[in-house]
Amino acid sequence: MTPQRKYGTWWTALFLLLLVGGVLLIVSHDFLAMRVDLPIYPGLGVTSTAMLSDYFAPLKGTAADTMAYILQGDEPGGTAFVLGGTHPNEPASSLAAIVLIESARVTRGRLVVIPRANRSAFTCSEPQEGYPQTYTIETANGSREFRYGSRGTNPVDQWPDPVIYINAAGQSLAGSEVRNLNRSYPGSPDGNLTEQLAYAIVELIRQEDVDMAIDLHEASPEYPVINAIVAHEDALNIAAEAAMFLEFEGMQIGVERSPDNLRGLSHREWGDATDTLALLVEAPNPAQGRLRGRTSVELIVEGIDPFYVRAAQRGLLYVPFFEAGHPIDERVGRHLQTIAMLLEVYNEYTDKGVVVVDVPTLSSVLEHGVGAFLLQPNTTNATN
Amino acid sequence: MSSPFAEMIPLLAMVGAFAAMTFAFKLPVSISLVGAAILGALVAGQGVPLRHLVEGTLGYLDTLLIIATAMIFMRTIQASGLLDTIAHHLITAFERRPASLLVLMMLFAMSAGMITGSSTAAVLTTGAIVAPAFMALGIPKNKTGAIIAMAGILGMIAPPVNIPVMIIGGGVDMPYIGFGLPLLILTLPLAVAIVLFLGLKSVRATSIDRSLLPLSYHRQYGWKLYLPLVMLIVLIVLERAFPRIVPSFGMPLVFMISALVAPWTGRKMNPWTVARDAVQAALPVMAILAGVGMFLQIMALTGGRGFIVSLLIGLPLGLLYLSIAVSMPLFGAVSAYGSASILGVPFVLALLGTNEIIVASALSLIAAMGDLMPPTALAGLFAAKVVEQPNYTQVLSHCLIPAGITVGVSLGYMATAGFWDRFLFWDNRLALYGILLGSIGLVCMSILMLDHWVLRHRRESVGAQL
Repeated sequence: MTPQRKYGTWWTALFLLLLVGGVLLIVSHDFLAMRVDLPIYPGLGVTSTAMLSDYFAPLKGTAADTMAYILQGDEPGGTAFVLGGTHPNEPASSLAAIVLIESARVTRGRLVVIPRANRSAFTCSEPQEGYPQTYTIETANGSREFRYGSRGTNPVDQWPDPVIYINAAGQSLAGSEVRNLNRSYPGSPDGNLTEQLAYAIVELIRQEDVDMAIDLHEASPEYPVINAIVAHEDALNIAAEAAMFLEFEGMQIGVERSPDNLRGLSHREWGDATDTLALLVEAPNPAQGRLRGRTSVELIVEGIDPFYVRAAQRGLLYVPFFEAGHPIDERVGRHLQTIAMLLEVYNEYTDKGVVVVDVPTLSSVLEHGVGAFLLQPNTTNATN
Repeated sequence: MSSPFAEMIPLLAMVGAFAAMTFAFKLPVSISLVGAAILGALVAGQGVPLRHLVEGTLGYLDTLLIIATAMIFMRTIQASGLLDTIAHHLITAFERRPASLLVLMMLFAMSAGMITGSSTAAVLTTGAIVAPAFMALGIPKNKTGAIIAMAGILGMIAPPVNIPVMIIGGGVDMPYIGFGLPLLILTLPLAVAIVLFLGLKSVRATSIDRSLLPLSYHRQYGWKLYLPLVMLIVLIVLERAFPRIVPSFGMPLVFMISALVAPWTGRKMNPWTVARDAVQAALPVMAILAGVGMFLQIMALTGGRGFIVSLLIGLPLGLLYLSIAVSMPLFGAVSAYGSASILGVPFVLALLGTNEIIVASALSLIAAMGDLMPPTALAGLFAAKVVEQPNYTQVLSHCLIPAGITVGVSLGYMATAGFWDRFLFWDNRLALYGILLGSIGLVCMSILMLDHWVLRHRRESVGAQL
């Protein structure tokens, strides 16, 4: 028998325990702060709000229940749906949805906007990525903070991950994808929290009779599907036409058909499970990429990264990347202009149009900054 | 815009501090990693970012729990007599077919990795079961450790569950479909070759000394002795077979439930002492993982990670292969999964245009070699614990050639992806399966011939001694 090595005394153990306890006490303050929803200030266009649990009751009281903002026009028409914040580490997605809530108005039909699709994922950061917990946007009335969260549901709300995740559509994925909302569609009423959330979103699309549904995302610059619209086959014509008009307006964007065998994603399952025209829009976010340099608030907001400039020079990226980077103004502006164009093209083909006005264009967001289209922090009608 | 080399300074500080603390000041690796992470953050002007340090460690929470519980499970079935019993029966059943026994035990050792996707789980379960049998066949303990370490890694990559490939696929939107055959073609021949390379010489030279065989406790305790293992298999298989019905218990709970059964199934033991010793044995590597998590988080925070990744994937094709061969196992030292995610995804993207399934399969195997890379070397370290070798580098030294061959084969697999694309995804499935079955038949015949050759050699050795 090998002799037992003595590592310390009870006092050593007590000291280390107290040290670890002290550290955890300090950092728990940071972690718990993430659970507080930062305010959103609904603009004049918002006519009502609903919770996702109104569409699927079991979600009530869970960390996944989130607010939907409804912008109802005076004229009857169709219904469009914009989903932001599926992945809270893709900030332009949530921010573009918040701009719609705070700035846009609807004159015909109805627009439903969810800015924090996976609310639970806004309450934690991705381990080993070194992300900040918030980023700041300058508005005319001062700075405004927004959460920078994780790609997946907070493990505190859903744990443990299985070894492999077989989603409701039958796709086998790595276990950690079990907390990825955009791998969980069409969801399941008796599944895990993320699957229930996905199910509730699909229920919203069904119950609100959504004609066109747009899921906003961002991707790393080395990812092939970027600056693109991914469309379910039913929405492919609209996506192609919108992309063409956007090119005319000077905004380059590609179109991808939703793959048949990549199951669990919004652009595939929304289109298959409901009658909606399902679309997903991607913008380039260097803060998500594996080639990025220092991870900071500046990288998220300004989108400048020397490593990506060099990678672009070597032809390793799927999007141009110059010294000016891809600031959040540009990414949000791209999303907003794409949404506006998709709706415009859709309206040409239907009697059930959705007319949304006061949606900032890419050039106006670039000129004034996204902060110019956000309401001020001192506004009193904030919602969490 | 800052120069890309600005990110080099904190990285160099981290690497330098780690080397100095480990080698000059002889501090434990885990402490050195924490110290290097703190220094890197300080140099980058981040202060002492407690939140980042804790968050980095949390990335390994599941892995830490799996390590601790798998270790407890392994020690309890060792104490109950189950490990000895299975080894005893394996050897007596296949006494006259030593080469076949080696191959079968290798495949059995791989099986836990194939189901769980974890080399640690494989080494500490099926690896621990066959290790006494390998040693009783005359294979030295260091070589035995190397065999079960390689089995754990190959099992982790072999289908049906290959987590690194799933991680790579997740990064490039490639579904986990069509990987079964390419992964089997990559791993099974390597498994056969490696076990014969490491074990055949020792088996040929030694006749089995029945007095040295591990004891069987089957008569004493009957079938209940096998209950912990049966419980483990049932819980794992149930979850995999009926994922929509059976909830995910998580591997730590599965190991704990199975371990809790063990004290009532065989030899008497004090479960508390066994569990405490098991955790104590696993503690150093758990501490290293916690430190690695902090180190990784600070590397991402300060830009050191991006510096390395962008440097590696920007190389020309010839050098790209070299950088894959070197960097992926090196990065795998911190985690094979991390290597697959951080390097595997960019490498697949850099090699787009060929069959991505073949490329991702090969990359996953190269990333898995990281489980042999110090300071963590999870597979090697736990294999050393299983064979009771306190110095795990003794085990790792025997893994060098098999690991080199594995990396070489993987690179070759990638370089010939066009051929494998035409062959494995051939429309004429009948001809494909015919060729594969014929190849398997040839290998089986060769192994049976090896059995005869080994036995003849043993007889001649005994004759010569007489």
